[in-house]
Amino acid sequence: MNNDSNEKKSAEEVKAEAKPKVDPKKLDLGALDLSVEKVEERISPSETNVFDK
Amino acid sequence: MSDFPITLLFPPQAHFTQPYMGLACLKAWLQAQGFSDVQQVDASVLSYDHFLSPDYLRWAVRRSEARNGLEQFEDRDELSFSNMDAYRSAAEVAVSGDVLADRVDGAKAVIRGDGFFDPSQYIPASRTLFHSLRVVSAAWAPTKLTPHNFTMAYSIDRSEDVLAATLDEDQNPYISFYRECILPDLIKRKPRVLGISVIYGSQLIPALTLGRLVKEALPDCHITAGGGFLAYIGAKLLAAPAISACLDSIVFHEGEKPLEELCCALRDGGDLSKIHSLGYYANGDDGVVRGIKNPGGHPIALNDAPMPDFDGTPFEKYFSPEVVLAYDVNRGCYYGECSFCTLPTVIGPGYRTRNAETIAAHVKTMREKYGFSNFNFITDCLPPGMIRELPEQLIEQKSDILWWCDARVEPRAYTKEGAERLYESGCRKLLFGFETAVPRLLKLMKKGQTPKRTLEVATNCNNAGISVTFYAMVGFPSETVEEARQTLALLRANAAGTRGPDGRMGPVREVSLQTFHVDEVAEVFRDPTTYGVELLPDANADLQLYHDFHANDGMSQLEAAEMFDEIMAGLRESLPLFHEDTFFYFTQKSHYFLHLASGLSPDQFIEHCRAAGIARQAELKEANRAEFLLALQVLPDCSTREIPFSYTEVARRLAHPLARAARPDFLTGTFLPDLEIEAAKVLGSLCQTKEKKRVLAYSPGSTEFVELSIDGEAVLDALADAGSYGNLIETLDNPSGPERERLDTFVHELHKLGLLFIPSSALPSSARHANLTETK
Repeated sequence: MNNDSNEKKSAEEVKAEAKPKVDPKKLDLGALDLSVEKVEERISPSETNVFDK
Repeated sequence: MSDFPITLLFPPQAHFTQPYMGLACLKAWLQAQGFSDVQQVDASVLSYDHFLSPDYLRWAVRRSEARNGLEQFEDRDELSFSNMDAYRSAAEVAVSGDVLADRVDGAKAVIRGDGFFDPSQYIPASRTLFHSLRVVSAAWAPTKLTPHNFTMAYSIDRSEDVLAATLDEDQNPYISFYRECILPDLIKRKPRVLGISVIYGSQLIPALTLGRLVKEALPDCHITAGGGFLAYIGAKLLAAPAISACLDSIVFHEGEKPLEELCCALRDGGDLSKIHSLGYYANGDDGVVRGIKNPGGHPIALNDAPMPDFDGTPFEKYFSPEVVLAYDVNRGCYYGECSFCTLPTVIGPGYRTRNAETIAAHVKTMREKYGFSNFNFITDCLPPGMIRELPEQLIEQKSDILWWCDARVEPRAYTKEGAERLYESGCRKLLFGFETAVPRLLKLMKKGQTPKRTLEVATNCNNAGISVTFYAMVGFPSETVEEARQTLALLRANAAGTRGPDGRMGPVREVSLQTFHVDEVAEVFRDPTTYGVELLPDANADLQLYHDFHANDGMSQLEAAEMFDEIMAGLRESLPLFHEDTFFYFTQKSHYFLHLASGLSPDQFIEHCRAAGIARQAELKEANRAEFLLALQVLPDCSTREIPFSYTEVARRLAHPLARAARPDFLTGTFLPDLEIEAAKVLGSLCQTKEKKRVLAYSPGSTEFVELSIDGEAVLDALADAGSYGNLIETLDNPSGPERERLDTFVHELHKLGLLFIPSSALPSSARHANLTETK
């Protein structure tokens, strides 16, 4: 691994560079798709406090 | 520097929360035999510490993007099953990699410091570490490194695969780790013997990788390997071609005596063929290198063995605020009848114990020497006599320790008085083999116990203040779906917080559920007919330990995997300690025990976690009120990334039992590559829906990965720019009616999932405890 942390940009800087600002006035509130999906993680046999390598 | 330096090394991957005992036992033994320069290295914890660092994670992000960037999926119309895992990794790295690198040091500080005992800090920190390991894995894909496992695309059942893995610079993360972090010190030290301890299958490839590198760098160093896993497969490894490129010898079973004799022989020019329990490579008359296995030797008299020596252990590197020291009270199993269990054979032959007086004296000395008062007694179970004698000695000698260990249900020993005496001696946690509620299966397992007795023993221990874990098993040959549900029903009916028919609270607080596997030492393997099992041999698997099988009756292996999920889901509903994020405490060895050792009873711990949950619920409830809803802000580290295919759908398909069976199993490391084709058929591929763009959102510590629509991202961004939801509403000219309701619902949902927060200053004091921003 090369230690090149000097090249590192903070997450905030990366985010600021990558994204144009949203103009809230242009949001069509009636037509927005506001669905949210979350992953339900499965519990594996490793995760119940035994043989936990 | 001595004339005969020895290095004992514990290779990755193993648990990172407490030091491994085997090296400390071997070091103490060798020193007692006159070898003064014995170094011990826990390369496993060092590797976790190395990987879980800001610089490494940033490097891993770039490597992952170069090898498997999200961009390469963007132009595809379809995502096949075989690419889903890579896609999931790419999407996660894209949205989480940089922020995790920023946060990982803070997470380590929490786990190693006082923040550990605060659920609102511990859980985000644990999550950050778990997710950071996914970034590490992505850099070496399809290799996977988790807190509990290390697997590669190579099978550990095949020597050809294992050897190829040791050379794979693209997918094996330990080659560069060793070169950077382990080899320089070894080259400087020039050990005459390097002893590598392999107790899990997950250590096999990393152990041989190191052996190969050291053989190249230090040709005069004799490299030997031993440990529990090699007690199973050592003979096969010795016979496999070309393993001599990585090892010079293999120690079978208990390591003390053969390692001592090996070191003496190497120092004095002795004959390796005279060393019992050793296998070694030698050149034949035909010039071919062959493995030679010597006869087994006698085990040591354990009571005469010295106290484990942990000198030189980097205690500060473990992922725990306090180290829990391991100590071997006995070796083997006094009962030794259970038909599924082969663990006693690993350390054998025979059952031996230290006497209670020695144990109490040793742990007292270790506490005084190292300054740690928490102990994990390494044992399959304590015999009834020891259950009575050990507390007396610990109390009499003022050992002043707290401890936990595995146990067997012995109703005559774990009486009310017996349990109280154990508690008084410092016992805070016992793990009993309950296995199943079905008498027919208990008989087949030769457990020699009944569910009724197990519940009685657990009740006595619980009432004395000792936490009890029920080991349970799913998929034992001939077990039916109905029988597995019977086990779940009994556990749920006796869950703590549930009153039974007699009006008393149940004793079940924690269950450790495992799926059944057939290994080569097990009675089921030797006598498959009795158990209704047809073994499915794999002629190419020359290192095979676990065997695929067909059960003539009851559940198939796939059905057992599905039943595992069903039972876990049921237990998570019924057991408060398994509710929601509290479950994180059960994913790491010793972590829950440290809470018990801090003075909390199991019920107080439940309340401790519940308090955090209640405060969180209170915050969520407050957010229903308009003034608090309007105060919601986006968490500072929250990031989003547009993704071409549904992340949640990919995750759902990868979690299917068929997909999981096609990947290396946690316990056995084995997998069935042919199932990949079947899984692909059953689970199909995904189409990109360009008209319905999706976004992955992430906030380190506070959330799992959340999928939104592109509209949802726009609202999230607008909210971040506005500073608060109230400001955004103002900018939008205070929408009302259904539009406002939908926005409120959306924002409330994001808050629930951890992407938004209410600043502390806006919250009533009752709801401040779980405000995650306080910890950032």
